[in-house]
Amino acid sequence: MTGTRIALGLLGLAAAAYGALQLLDLGLDNLVATVTWLAGGVLVHDAVVAPLTIALWFVVSRVTGRRLPGAVVVGAVVLGTVTVIAVPVLGRFGARADNPTLLDRNYVLGWAMLATLTVVVTAAVVAASRRGRGGDRGPGPGRR
Amino acid sequence: MRIPSDRDFTSTLRSPAVAARVGVWLGICFGLAFVTGLISHEAYVVHPVIPFPARPTWGYRVTQGLHVLSGTAAIPLLLVKLWTVFPKLFARPPQRLRQLAVDGLERASIAVLVAAAVFQLTTGLLNTTQWYPWGFHFRATHYAVAWVAIGALVLHIAVKLPVIRAALGGDIEDSAQDRPTATIAGPLTRRALVRSALLASGVAVLATAGSTVPALRKVSVLGVRSGGGPAGIPINKSAKAADVVATALSPDYRLVIAYDAHEMSLSRADLERLEQHTVELPIACVEGWSASGHWTGVRVRDLLDLVGAPAGRDLRVESLQPRGPFRATTLPGHFADDPLTLLALRLGGEPLAIDHGYPCRLIAPDRPGVLQTKWVGRLEVIT
Repeated sequence: MTGTRIALGLLGLAAAAYGALQLLDLGLDNLVATVTWLAGGVLVHDAVVAPLTIALWFVVSRVTGRRLPGAVVVGAVVLGTVTVIAVPVLGRFGARADNPTLLDRNYVLGWAMLATLTVVVTAAVVAASRRGRGGDRGPGPGRR
Repeated sequence: MRIPSDRDFTSTLRSPAVAARVGVWLGICFGLAFVTGLISHEAYVVHPVIPFPARPTWGYRVTQGLHVLSGTAAIPLLLVKLWTVFPKLFARPPQRLRQLAVDGLERASIAVLVAAAVFQLTTGLLNTTQWYPWGFHFRATHYAVAWVAIGALVLHIAVKLPVIRAALGGDIEDSAQDRPTATIAGPLTRRALVRSALLASGVAVLATAGSTVPALRKVSVLGVRSGGGPAGIPINKSAKAADVVATALSPDYRLVIAYDAHEMSLSRADLERLEQHTVELPIACVEGWSASGHWTGVRVRDLLDLVGAPAGRDLRVESLQPRGPFRATTLPGHFADDPLTLLALRLGGEPLAIDHGYPCRLIAPDRPGVLQTKWVGRLEVIT
């Protein structure tokens, strides 16, 4: 396995170095703008997105005061990550008055439909699993 | 408040067993995006190593659609993956110098990987919506950083191979590789967390794929284009944005065809009198949207015959637009001679809309949309 790992590692280094050289070829202004965005992306994730996720989770678990059903977490993962993808269309930042074929939907309505669907499906799954557990073992100590 | 340590993260969900499994899917998405990205890059280069094929006619439509969709699918996977490995950021560095150096190198390679991965997915996503809030050249930079990202990914796999093998070889709920303090069960199983990441990816694809898969147009509530536009085809750059409205509508418009000393000019009426052909070809843009249309016009080869140009010659296609990086493009000889390559005058039976390139535009099989030059003013055989 060591041989494979060394070969893979060298291959990776070579590809990354090739990319870095390409980047240098694009000039200093381009490089500065690129490095700003490269570092900015890491910073936004590590200093904003990740701590906010932890803080939000902390608040939700304190407010509800008990363990959340797993389906709620699944729903949150789906809605949370898809909302990140929706940011550029929700903000319509690329819209142009001279091109009505670009960003030609009501994205706020679309996102609201997606959010509603996620909430409804999540609630249905939670209700179904509660009913299932209630029938099997009855309410009380058997519940999580 | 003290800086947190990796020991403060206690959930068993933040485990190599989850990271490796989400990582496999993420690797597939990045691999697919990289290969289809290279294909797109080749399509832009005038003389690539392997000549870009003119068949299948829908080739670029599929590869570029896959490029954008695999990148979109990777976003939920990357976010979940970064969540599972977040404690590693706070791991205390080792005391011994030699180990400290190794740890530092690995951290540096991870920093490059995360930076490049986030950069590629962010710039790619923003480009699909034509939002460019940056100062770098998008296409060249996205290409260069793609090599950095894929290289750092391959290096990461090489470094982590023993961990990956152990994680994938064991049961997902097996805690053998977990950090010592990761002992508190989460609100869902690890298997359910991996599945929720995949579900999120699937939802992201369905919510956006309508821009290139007509059957999903009604489902894709976040699609950048719903397929509307003159003759049912969307527009990337309008005639107004290209500053060609007056020249394109001018009664003095003439198409000039040039080969060596032979030169010929034709009005749009002259072009309409030549033999007309109708072909079904897609417009497939680098932003990942595509739409198929029925184009009617004159074969480019027939036009070249008018000035006696031999077969196999590259063609310089010039637009009436006064500026822009794609004002003039080079059409390789095998595309110029292709019977499906037209100078289109009509789309869907109607005269070409000005935003589609009136008086005439190039339409060739299996090419990126931006090279399908609109408002064509001059065809010049390169000798």
